[in-house]
Amino acid sequence: MLDMREIAKVYRTETIETHALRGFTLSVREGEFVAVTGPSGSGKTTFLTIAGLLEDFNSGEYILDGVNVHGMNDDQRSRLRNEKIGFVFQAFNLIPDLNVLDNVEVPLHYRRGIGAAERRKRAIGALERVGLSARMRHYPAELSGGQQQRAAIARALAGSPRLLLADEPTGNLDTAMARGVMELIEELHREGATVVMVTHDPDLAARAERNVHIVDGMATGILEEPRFRPSLRERTGTDVPHGGA
Amino acid sequence: MMTPRPILSSLRRHKIAAFLIVLEIALAFAIVSNAVYMVIGRLQRIDLRSGIDERGLVLLRLATASKQNGSVASAQTDLATLRAIPGVESASAINTLPLSGSQWSLAYSLRPMRAFSDGVQVPVFFGGPGLLQTLGIRVIQGSAFQPSAYSDLSPKDVFKAFVNARQALITQAFAQRLWPHASAVGKVMYMGETPVLVVGVVSNIIQPYIGADAHDPANYYGVISPFRAGPDLNAWYALRCQPAACARVLKAGAAKLQAMHPTETLNAQESFTHMRQRYFRDDRSMAWLLVSTVIALLGVTAIGIVGLASFWVQQRTRQIGVRRALGARRIDILRYFQTENFLLATAGIALGCAAAIGINVWLMAHYAVPRLPVMYLPLGALLLWGLGQLAVLGPALRAARVAPTVAMRSA
Repeated sequence: MLDMREIAKVYRTETIETHALRGFTLSVREGEFVAVTGPSGSGKTTFLTIAGLLEDFNSGEYILDGVNVHGMNDDQRSRLRNEKIGFVFQAFNLIPDLNVLDNVEVPLHYRRGIGAAERRKRAIGALERVGLSARMRHYPAELSGGQQQRAAIARALAGSPRLLLADEPTGNLDTAMARGVMELIEELHREGATVVMVTHDPDLAARAERNVHIVDGMATGILEEPRFRPSLRERTGTDVPHGGA
Repeated sequence: MMTPRPILSSLRRHKIAAFLIVLEIALAFAIVSNAVYMVIGRLQRIDLRSGIDERGLVLLRLATASKQNGSVASAQTDLATLRAIPGVESASAINTLPLSGSQWSLAYSLRPMRAFSDGVQVPVFFGGPGLLQTLGIRVIQGSAFQPSAYSDLSPKDVFKAFVNARQALITQAFAQRLWPHASAVGKVMYMGETPVLVVGVVSNIIQPYIGADAHDPANYYGVISPFRAGPDLNAWYALRCQPAACARVLKAGAAKLQAMHPTETLNAQESFTHMRQRYFRDDRSMAWLLVSTVIALLGVTAIGIVGLASFWVQQRTRQIGVRRALGARRIDILRYFQTENFLLATAGIALGCAAAIGINVWLMAHYAVPRLPVMYLPLGALLLWGLGQLAVLGPALRAARVAPTVAMRSA
């Protein structure tokens, strides 16, 4: 599904050259749930922007669902992003001027060959799937944080993406709301979705099938079946600060 | 084009800003459509054919008060002297001229009438046998006056003379007004209760004073009466000369008249071309003023659109980034802002149509401006739509350059 090999990404200013990713390699199989962890500035977000085709990389090879994305122009990346990827952002990123239903329809507006009726049908279906159909006429400001993130997940699902990319999906939520959102993501994964989640929270990462740890732009460790490792509480005797399940 | 519904939904959340820009476009549309119509009207007036041979026509006029210098007999002596100037082909003393700004009007009707207002008011030209040749007017039907038909006209017997005038030449436009389906030659019209025989129809000549509507055929209504006039009727000495000799003829003619009438002054000494320019000077000034107003108004409107669009682009930078992250191409973002502007402009134009008609009705009532033709509304709409698209292009292109990675930044 996602196959990155020796990806390098360098940000340059007039005076500084920052190597955000260096020789980064990762493969994600279809239907897999992978958590990418690492400290601040380690390259997690850069990985996500490249995986999500939001920006290009300097060298290496990236094959997304069988398509080599290297050298694609902006329009081609936009199309591929729209068809293959569903985003869940930390800050939800719902458009405040649109109601929930219109928000969920946004990515479908950029999809070729989908008429208004089909758009509406898919959006309603996605909202039903996340349990938010009763709130479809509400504006984002009228929803709780957890509901907003559910709406954002519905928006990500509406286009039936091959890959769900989540950037700290519970980072802006309190514990109860975070639990609900994580359960929803896990449920989507159980239904067959391929999920790649970036998080700095070890307990959230532990709920994935596989953990990839990034330090200084390189994947330094891959932990298979992290859910069977000892929990943070068991290891440290402290509770998870927030965002835990 | 994007689907307008989500854009309208978004605009509903920014009612005041959207309303202000719609109002600005509506005002611009209403004022610009009327102003452009008025400019075109003024330009059409400036371009109106006078109907006379303008090149090679120079004019002199004595400001006379004394009887011996103002009579028809004195005028005949003056004309003989003026005709003797080398380069002069013909000369005539004429009571008024096209585009001179002052006219003698009489009312004519197909039936005897008692009140002036019962007839069609028409300017009357007279100037003796040389008038047609000097002004370059052609007889189209019938014939010119016989020499015996002419009589002298002096200030003291003007009314009596006109009551006794039994013949007239009329312009083609006036002939069509009175007898639209028949020849006017040999027909009788009435000046008050006096029957006047139409002996001929002449080519159209424009009136000394024309109305606001350049297309009004009445601008070419005219009657030529068989009278000779002198300076005491404020007559012009019109001299037909070879175009190359006109400046010299004008100077020599003025010198001759001054020599013959040392106690008089000349209150006009110019070519017809100059008189025409003088007549339309106000139209030209008004056209420039209106054009400047239109340009300023369109500029202010464009600045308003650019300002609001720039503000919205800045305000929605994150939203644009999110749309890009969700799959919008740059062209989709460009189209979003173009569609949004098109919808605002359309609302402004719809409102502006009503305002344009309202302004026109007011102008018609207070300034004798003709009715605004319907075609100006779609033309104005195209102008405002075009202006809107042009004005929004810069901010929209800036929006299209917003990177999708903006969506990843912390809120």
